[in-house]
Amino acid sequence: MDSKLKVSKSFISIMFVLIAIGIITIAAGFIAGDGTRTWANLLLNNFMFLSIVLGGLFWMALQAITQSGWSAGFVRIPQALAVNLMIAFILWIPLFFAIPHLFHWAEPEAVHDAVLVHKSPYLNIPFVIIRTVVFFALWLFLACRIRKLSLKEDEIGGFDSFIKIEFLSKVFIFVLGISIVFVGIDWVMSLEPHWFSTLFSVKIFVSAFYHGAVIITGTVIILNKLGYFPFLTKAHLHNFSKYIFMLSIMWGYMWFIQYLLIWYGNIPEETVYYHIRREGGFQGLFLAEIFINWAFPFLFLMWNRIAKNANALLFTVVVLIVGQYIEIFNEVMPGTIHHVAFGFIEIGTFIGYAGLFALIFAISLSKRPLVAKNHPYLIECLKDEDIEEEY
Amino acid sequence: MNNQNQILGVFDDPDVVTDAVKELVKHDVKIKDVFSPFPLEHVWDLLKLKTRMPYATFIYGALGTASVFAFLYWTSVTDYPLTFGGKPHNSLSFVVLMFVLTILSGVVFTLATLLIREKMWPGKNNPLPDHRSMDDKFVIVIEQGRDMDDNDMNKIDELLKQNGAVEVNRSNV
Repeated sequence: MDSKLKVSKSFISIMFVLIAIGIITIAAGFIAGDGTRTWANLLLNNFMFLSIVLGGLFWMALQAITQSGWSAGFVRIPQALAVNLMIAFILWIPLFFAIPHLFHWAEPEAVHDAVLVHKSPYLNIPFVIIRTVVFFALWLFLACRIRKLSLKEDEIGGFDSFIKIEFLSKVFIFVLGISIVFVGIDWVMSLEPHWFSTLFSVKIFVSAFYHGAVIITGTVIILNKLGYFPFLTKAHLHNFSKYIFMLSIMWGYMWFIQYLLIWYGNIPEETVYYHIRREGGFQGLFLAEIFINWAFPFLFLMWNRIAKNANALLFTVVVLIVGQYIEIFNEVMPGTIHHVAFGFIEIGTFIGYAGLFALIFAISLSKRPLVAKNHPYLIECLKDEDIEEEY
Repeated sequence: MNNQNQILGVFDDPDVVTDAVKELVKHDVKIKDVFSPFPLEHVWDLLKLKTRMPYATFIYGALGTASVFAFLYWTSVTDYPLTFGGKPHNSLSFVVLMFVLTILSGVVFTLATLLIREKMWPGKNNPLPDHRSMDDKFVIVIEQGRDMDDNDMNKIDELLKQNGAVEVNRSNV
């Protein structure tokens, strides 16, 4: 129970190679004069990074407020994401300087645009930066506090930390529910500042939760294959896949209601958002987004035996990471570079970010015991029987 | 039907009845049925019950989706195309009707299949071994097999009592 994750030397060196590839590609992108495209890629990957972290932390908070027993052995995995959140903040700082390159509302000619002038009390560079820093500070404070309390629980035991974590999780959910709306509007929706949708931030939130749950599932399965979490059973795997299944439906619903309202409303200011995505070269990605993120997990995980199979779940996780990339690509790229561009900059930047995420996540996991041994519901988690079913 | 050939173990706790079923399965006792006021998921697995109902529902749902799409395509693209605001005829807005009618088709046909397969119809008298299983009691039913004598039956009675049965009755329903 007390075992800590051991990060092998070769893993660290591979991740450093990936990060180096990322840095080289980003530098090459700037040197080659593709400034806007490189900044857009940085925004895309930063947002994907942040979505996964916030989604994972939301997953953890949800387990705490519902007092879930089955997940008590796995709470250390989302807790480790608190360190990734710090890195996400550091990665976000360069983007503050990229606002004039990426956002139409921050360009000098925006002062001649009546709509943007009307929006300028909200959409101006200092206010956007202040909001972002305040939200990061709140998230970091709550996430680190929960992580510390969970470690204290390991040493002292008792219900004190458990009750405090539950309270802080309620605060975190409240804060996140409000702040992610503004983050979604400021950093993604305002790329096309004439267009707006009140459903957009809900979709951002569900997408973050969805892909956060996906990453946690993938991490549990990979660590189990490496010999950690010996108590993992099919019952646990089924619960993880239920999360993915439920959230795929939720995500599809949010995607579709936004589309449907704009479709029936048929107002030119709104349809322009989908026009560029359906007619402007993004058709394939537009359909791939909904099929990979909704139709694939919905039909694949529907089968009971697949839903409990570790390898099938791992495959779903990989597909959904691609799905999330396509989703954010579709949100960021049409408003910044206005055409589909997929080349070495996109691949290299993604590789760099993936390496950084995995390295920080692994080191952060290795610092604490993998199982919260004094969690009050741990017994319930270990008791989940492995019931073999015949079909 | 004077000989009372069924044992009814009455329990009042869902966790106790699950453990008792586990214990009975371990002793190779053949359980005929378990009656409970609400579904007990582990009992389902322990009794190794099988059903093809989910597959039937999936097929009904898929047929519903396909036929509704075919109908919508025929009405709004083939037979009577109307252009609204330059939008394409064959559109994603079909999804709403497809979604709703998939659920309708899945539910209605599954219910019909259930009623036909279980031979249930209005006014049918369905005998319950113990009426309290509709209220707050959990009942394990064990039928006397051809090769079981009274001695075996008494042993099962003992086993049920050891595992927390509040009452052990005989019945012939």
